[in-house]
Amino acid sequence: MMKGKLEPSERLKFIEKVLNHSASGKNLKEALASFEEDLVKLSDELQQEAQSIPNMTHPDVPIGGEDSSAVRKKVGSPREFSFSVKDHLQLGKELDLFDFDAAAEVSGSKFYYLKNEAVLLEMALVNWTLSQVMQKGFTPLITPEIVRSSIVEKCGFQPRGDNTQAYSIEGSDQCLIGTAEIPVGGVHMDSILAETVLPLKYAAFSHCFRTEAGAAGLATRGLYRVHQFSKVEMFVLCRPDESDTYHEELITIEEDLFSSLGLHYKTLDMASEDLGAPAYRKFDVEAWMPGLGRYGEISSASNCTDYQSRRLGIRYRPAELAASTNPKKGGKGNLAPTKFVHTLNATACAVPRMMICLLENNQQEDGSVIIPEPLRPFMGGMEVILPKHHTG
Amino acid sequence: MGLHSYFGGTTIQTLKMAAVPAYSRVIFRPISRTLVALDSFPRHSPRPPFPMLARALSTAAAVQTTTPSTESMGTATVAKPQWKAAIDFKWIRDNREAVAENIRKRNSKASLELVLELYEKMLAVQKEVERLRGERNAVANKMKGKLEPSERQKFIEAGKNLKEALTSLEEDLVKLSDELQLEAQSIPNMTHPDVPIGGEDSSAVRKMVGSPREFSFPMKDHLQLGKELDLFDFDAAAEVSGSKFYYLKNEAVLLEMALVNWTLSQVMQKGFTPLITPEIVRSSIVEKCGFQPRGDNTQVYSIEGSDQCLIGTAEIPVGGIHMDSILAESSLPLKYAAFSHCFRTEAGAAGLATRGLYRVHQFSKVEMFVLCRPEESDAYHEELITIEEDLFSSLGLHYKTLDMASEDLGAPAYRKFDVEAWMPGLGRYGEISSASNCTDYQSRRLGIRYRPAELAASTNPKKGGKSNLAPTKFVHTLNATACAIPRMIICILENNQQEDGSVIIPEPLRPFMGGMELILPKHTGKLTG
Repeated sequence: MMKGKLEPSERLKFIEKVLNHSASGKNLKEALASFEEDLVKLSDELQQEAQSIPNMTHPDVPIGGEDSSAVRKKVGSPREFSFSVKDHLQLGKELDLFDFDAAAEVSGSKFYYLKNEAVLLEMALVNWTLSQVMQKGFTPLITPEIVRSSIVEKCGFQPRGDNTQAYSIEGSDQCLIGTAEIPVGGVHMDSILAETVLPLKYAAFSHCFRTEAGAAGLATRGLYRVHQFSKVEMFVLCRPDESDTYHEELITIEEDLFSSLGLHYKTLDMASEDLGAPAYRKFDVEAWMPGLGRYGEISSASNCTDYQSRRLGIRYRPAELAASTNPKKGGKGNLAPTKFVHTLNATACAVPRMMICLLENNQQEDGSVIIPEPLRPFMGGMEVILPKHHTG
Repeated sequence: MGLHSYFGGTTIQTLKMAAVPAYSRVIFRPISRTLVALDSFPRHSPRPPFPMLARALSTAAAVQTTTPSTESMGTATVAKPQWKAAIDFKWIRDNREAVAENIRKRNSKASLELVLELYEKMLAVQKEVERLRGERNAVANKMKGKLEPSERQKFIEAGKNLKEALTSLEEDLVKLSDELQLEAQSIPNMTHPDVPIGGEDSSAVRKMVGSPREFSFPMKDHLQLGKELDLFDFDAAAEVSGSKFYYLKNEAVLLEMALVNWTLSQVMQKGFTPLITPEIVRSSIVEKCGFQPRGDNTQVYSIEGSDQCLIGTAEIPVGGIHMDSILAESSLPLKYAAFSHCFRTEAGAAGLATRGLYRVHQFSKVEMFVLCRPEESDAYHEELITIEEDLFSSLGLHYKTLDMASEDLGAPAYRKFDVEAWMPGLGRYGEISSASNCTDYQSRRLGIRYRPAELAASTNPKKGGKSNLAPTKFVHTLNATACAIPRMIICILENNQQEDGSVIIPEPLRPFMGGMELILPKHTGKLTG
């Protein structure tokens, strides 16, 4: 009967009759208020529980733990050394490239100063990487490193959990970013983008801060696990039907970068238990680190489909019907309903791990380190890092 | 030997201590009365001395906890400083006029009178502690010999009394020392004789380079240029992070990278060792450099749940590198050029210029830091300001160098040169750099010394030794901004804008931007294409 045409006052009378057991207007109001309270509580609880549901998984993802990850690609092979190989810490000491001891006094463990050629190497890696990915159509960004913790949550991280990776700022709702993925994800939050602007491709340079809580026992030596490091991160927003393709594009860009630098690495299709909640599919690249004597992760490329965009509120308006010229506000009329974009993120260059690879793999018997060709123009043409007391 | 011979005139007179400041006299009176009482007992008195002694000691204890804190100290409980600066109190006392004059000149809140008073008290207590220790040793020595049981008993009691008195005095010494430390830390550095006296209007212009550009068209500020050239996004950053945050985009990213790369290469050629530093440090380091991490209007962001905070300048982590060290004279001077991001709360900056890039919470900076011998710091101050001026001239900036007046120095600086560049959009000069000579203010707090090479030079830089080593001295530290990115970007954009909305890139930066000469408006391509 409610669906038929009724005058508003008649409609109200009908509701009253249905809900009102004791024929008093007050009961209706109270009943509604109480239901509405329940609704809010239920809705909140539903939200909280549902937020824990991980993203769906790409059908090709291997099922299982880290041993089940599949090798997609292998490039090069471990270098054979004709002399005893030094790890990056020892090389760093002899070449006066880092200072972990002073940093332990000033800041705490897992902090470090970069010195001399290591500074030039970091600048060169960042400059070269940015120029490479800019040529592939990525817009360069330098981002804030302090963000509201709600943004961190919307990207799928847990800023206030027990073993949180996020440093919080005292007396505020802000925290430090662990990756530029976070501030870049926030650029278009609560927006409706025109389909014509997609894909949006960003290459963001930032410092990253991680507490590494719960990382005890894992490899923690030297540059492998640190609290602060520089990183160039690629971030793509695209239409849902394109995200698989852009995932392939991102991993190809990464592999090209690493091959150009002469690294020996393997690309893994990460297994279902190792994806992390936001990722539909995740490719990790692990490079050979002679000092560690094993492969170490140097990058990660994730397709998060609509997991992040549903939380960050990033939609687009398909161009089918009349395209809206105002990307921020939806309108009525002939506009197609909005859809959520898909987001992807991929490490173009995480400086400390790249440094480990370059130092350990490019070391020579006399203690010097060869600089990969692509980086030389960014280091004033320098070809070799020489020991400081080199007499020759 | 009888009891009487030990508790001879000297000891009792000592314990009466007529010359000692009031509060300690209060401690000693009961004990001396007790000892006099003991002394008057016949040797084999049936009445044991303990009850009276016990009462006397408990009286002393009661007195000790109440009287010192109300008589001698302003506050009942003294905060414990987490670290100690090696302040030369004797020098302050011997030069009190000059120090007082300096505090006036700088409009500082430091209380010299209190510091001197605490120092005198501390010296007196120290003297008494030493004297009592001597007495106690004498008692201990006496106990080593053969003694009658009753004599031994009296020595034991005397020893116990001395121990109690010593313990209480030593506690007072610690409290005095802590309070002295806290008060003395507020005393600002001395001031170079050439520094103008007064507030910011008294600062003297040392040098002026260039003149404000004349515009033949309506000039835009950096925010408008940034919008038209798609170089920044303040709005998105306000949502993501809060006000005074920003994203740099497109050519602005290349400009920041170019400025950092070029600046580092320039100062490396002048012998500076490049560094990339931690941006999270323990808050004690921040304090030792002369900043106040936990004050009300602090510039410092603190990390929740830890004693760490974010740096506002690389001066801090670089200052910390050699803390608690003794350097060989031959390693000086040490010259560092440190690149870091800097984080500042800008609390208390309301009403000041806050628009756009002028005042932000996060920015990149290349900072020069020098550690040198005291006699060289004036010369290095000149060197640092010259390097800065050369950098700014190379970029074509119009600027003036100021010798900052005494009220504008900040506690650590003996002398400070600020460079202000012309910012057409603001319509005035804005600070783009600061070069300070901190003499030994920071090094006394950070504990950075050097061993002069005069006598046999020590081969172990960390440990001092005896014999032929010259006594260590404190180094002097200086710091100077080589490049603070956001303000440089303001200057370059606003001064180098052209009528068509493009911006000319200064020549020295072009090689670092792939040869780019101009930043072009984004829609010119599309209009013609």
